[in-house]
Amino acid sequence: MTTTWTAAALSQDVPAGTAAPGRLGDRDLAIWRSASGKIAAWADRCPHRGMRLSHGFVRGEALSCIYHGWRYGQTGQCIKIPAHPGLEPPDAIRVPAFAVAEASGVIWVADGAPATAPPAFEGFTGFRSLQVDAPASVVAEALGGKGDAIRAALGPTPAVALIQPLGPDRSGLHLLAPLSAAPEALDALSVAAEDLRRRAEAGQKGRAA
Amino acid sequence: MKLYDYILSPSCYKVRLMAAIAGVKLDLRPVDFHPGREHKTDPILALNPAGTIPILVDGALILTESSAMLTYLAALAAPGWLGDATPADRAQVEQWLAFSPRLTASCGGARLHDMLLMPGDIGALRASATRALRELEAALSARRRRGHSFLVGAIPTIADIACFPYVALAPDGGIDLGPYPSIRLWMRAIRGLPGFIEMPGIHRLHEASAEPAPEIGGTAG
Ligand code: FES
Repeated sequence: MTTTWTAAALSQDVPAGTAAPGRLGDRDLAIWRSASGKIAAWADRCPHRGMRLSHGFVRGEALSCIYHGWRYGQTGQCIKIPAHPGLEPPDAIRVPAFAVAEASGVIWVADGAPATAPPAFEGFTGFRSLQVDAPASVVAEALGGKGDAIRAALGPTPAVALIQPLGPDRSGLHLLAPLSAAPEALDALSVAAEDLRRRAEAGQKGRAA
Repeated sequence: MKLYDYILSPSCYKVRLMAAIAGVKLDLRPVDFHPGREHKTDPILALNPAGTIPILVDGALILTESSAMLTYLAALAAPGWLGDATPADRAQVEQWLAFSPRLTASCGGARLHDMLLMPGDIGALRASATRALRELEAALSARRRRGHSFLVGAIPTIADIACFPYVALAPDGGIDLGPYPSIRLWMRAIRGLPGFIEMPGIHRLHEASAEPAPEIGGTAG
């Protein structure tokens, strides 16, 4: 059980009224944002028949499952079952919800209640997430650092790289850049990050061979 | 205008979708692609010796490439969708039309392999799909940085229609779209377009449709 924060997605990638898939450790998440902007991270499994809730749709402050339309409020509590409109859904029908917080344009999730707020990188914001087919350690090494938050030298524009372990041979790479960076500077960082991904994946293949 | 069509073909769907958006009425002629292999029979081969669908017939004009059909429909009835406002835009539309067969071969190949049990090296198909999807994701993320939702220019074009269906159906070939946030938001923008139509596996935005009418005898308290 992890009680530290994990960078799971970027705020810009889950705009109001949308749902997105995510991961926490070996669990699938449905990360969604209500019409008024509230973010939530849930187990990606509908309590009815197990459909992925990240495929669901947001109306107002609730997330509805795409399959039979069961509707869930912010806490994960089921608030409506369309096939039984007269029934008040029992308390037991509830999607497990995880702790979630946003800082520096990053959506952080945790299982349990971390003692501290997630890290903030003053003046930086998330601009690009990539998946890398290599373990977190290999990605950190390619970035020339250690740990899961690295000040990355990817060119003239400073960047912060947050590495999310996604199993034995896969990682998420969430990149932050200065709020003031122009689109062209972000393009260049993006190209540098893809170059880094190629190197990390080639290194990983070399290791596996 | 007659379209030789197969409901489960993403290439045929491109043409149906563009026609719906442009407001062009198509006379659909279903082809028994699977299991009948009707596209390999003499009457179809007489129209298209390559033995592929879709085929679009408008009077004496016979088109057998879906990208050409998109160009034709847009030029006829929705010229803004040609995306040719500037030389650079026009070239980029061509670039994406030429890119789209890579999606057909990779995402589409994996889908045919998994759904219709067609032969193929599934690992290689998925790997080349990943390469194509990564390129598309990078391009769309650069577009978002500039406040745009679509591939070229400020509005949707035939480039979006050419690339959309095989990407949207990639999960049918065991390809996870989870790692591509910009692609997810782009597909969402396309699914919400006025005139958008569905095909099996591709749905319009539910949230855009009206709230179901309140049921009689609703919940107490
Ligand atoms: S599986 Fe979600 S409502 Fe039925």
